[in-house]
Amino acid sequence: MLKVEGLRAGYGAINILWDISFNVDAGEVVAILGSNGAGKTTMVRAVTGMVRPTAGSIQFEGEELAKKSSRYILDKGIVQVPEGRQIFTEMTVLENLEMGAFNKATRAAFSQNLAVAYRHFPKLQERARQAAGTLSGGEQQMLAVARALIGMPRLLILDEPSLGLAPNIVDDILDVASGMAKRDGIAVLLVEQDITKALACADRGYVIENGRIALSGTAEALSANEHVKKAYLGI
Amino acid sequence: MSENVKAVRAYRRNVALALGLLLLVFVLIPVFVKSPYILNIFVLVFYMSTLSMAWNLLGGMTGQNSLGHAAYMGLGAYASCLLITKAGANPWLSAIFGMIVVGLVAGVIFYPCFILRGPYFTLVSIAFGEAMRQFIINSTFFGRASGVGLPFGRDSWLDFRFGSKVPYYYVGLAMVLLIYLLMKKIERSRMGYALRTIREDEDAAAAIGINPTKYKIMAVVVSAMVAALVGFFYASYIRYIDPDLMVQAKSTESVLPAVVGGAAYVEGPLVGGLIMIPLSEFLRARYSAMLPGINMLLYAIALLAVIRFRPTGILGWYMHSKTKKFVDEKLLRKPPVEVFEAVELQKHSGKEA
Repeated sequence: MLKVEGLRAGYGAINILWDISFNVDAGEVVAILGSNGAGKTTMVRAVTGMVRPTAGSIQFEGEELAKKSSRYILDKGIVQVPEGRQIFTEMTVLENLEMGAFNKATRAAFSQNLAVAYRHFPKLQERARQAAGTLSGGEQQMLAVARALIGMPRLLILDEPSLGLAPNIVDDILDVASGMAKRDGIAVLLVEQDITKALACADRGYVIENGRIALSGTAEALSANEHVKKAYLGI
Repeated sequence: MSENVKAVRAYRRNVALALGLLLLVFVLIPVFVKSPYILNIFVLVFYMSTLSMAWNLLGGMTGQNSLGHAAYMGLGAYASCLLITKAGANPWLSAIFGMIVVGLVAGVIFYPCFILRGPYFTLVSIAFGEAMRQFIINSTFFGRASGVGLPFGRDSWLDFRFGSKVPYYYVGLAMVLLIYLLMKKIERSRMGYALRTIREDEDAAAAIGINPTKYKIMAVVVSAMVAALVGFFYASYIRYIDPDLMVQAKSTESVLPAVVGGAAYVEGPLVGGLIMIPLSEFLRARYSAMLPGINMLLYAIALLAVIRFRPTGILGWYMHSKTKKFVDEKLLRKPPVEVFEAVELQKHSGKEA
């Protein structure tokens, strides 16, 4: 579904990503792993069109997206849950969810999608009228995921969903993501620092080090890999 | 129909009724009030509130704190005045010309500036205002420091020229009403929602497919055009403009009604303008003769009190005490699974949810 080849990107004169290649298929959860500063977020920004790649191709269902605007990419169904949640704290929970349907394509199906989002995260329905800033950290992350769901993703990108959250809430959120991959056939790209959690949820994974893909393989193979064990799992 | 929907409708009806009555009062004021001094204060309220509404679109709704709105107003005044005096154009057409010119200037100048955020944008807006003022002071075409006067003559609607204050009062009132409706329209549109999200978090807005630069430019252009309209009104009313129209203090004055009334609320500048401008005039008339400057001091104290104790403005304070966000209670009250099933059912029966 998503096929990235030889991707290079960076900010101004500084190149961050060097020849990144990976792919994600429908119904699959793929983890992008790496420590702080490895280039994970830049990669997300490149795929969603917020950073323009300097080389390489990003193909989504056969269409080249490397030079397209973030708006166009979103319309194609690549929806991200940005790092650090980034919800609109002064708006109500419901208004936040409505903003997920800002693009015309998803507006007609808003009420269906809202019901789906509420089914996944019943807490949000209870708190629909509350200002989003009054939610707990976990609920805010749920809201960010729910807002992405309203945008009817074909590819859902979760950028560091574990950031600053209690482990059981992270599990809940990852469960929803993998459930959607298995049941609805959407592709999930999980970008994580918490490698144990990410590999427990993902089918396959890629390890980024210094802006390059250092390793790739199935979740089991990566969990068993000596380098991964030593460098990331501390075993 | 649920109780809540009825309550919402009743509330909206009441608000519309109250606003209608208020408008009626304003329409009738010149019939009973003959004092030019009082009418002048109302005209002042009208155009300052409108200028503040222009600021509020950018500063309040979009969160881009501009301190250069006097420059847009001044440029609008100059563009329309020069077209009248140098080309003999009709004032109403000149107003439109002024708005277009100022909208273009604002869009072109601020397009590259919107990579700047927060205080940097504010600094640029201050610099822009001062640069425009200096440019006019040094330009012979713009009449340098001596300004431009509009011709006097017989009362005429065509030339928008009157000896009495009453016609200005009504045109000013119409201007307030028109711009209020425009702002209300913008607030409820897609653009309004986009602006709110940009105010809260630009990066998050971009993440859900909103192009922040595009909407910020739209806001700055509309805001500048409204300010230019106020400039035209001001010039036609006072019939003389000079570069002092664009001093920094005037830009600040355009911010005050919105901040006091409640920035981020479309009605904020109106509430603030209706309170602060008569207050300022009253203090000047009552106290400035006693001790020079004391009126400014009292005004500043009133302003500080609002900012200290009601930072969201009068409307913000009122709204928080009375939550008026209505959503579909029906959907909220049902347990989640039931809602989902209801929607699924509707989907399968082919009806719109």
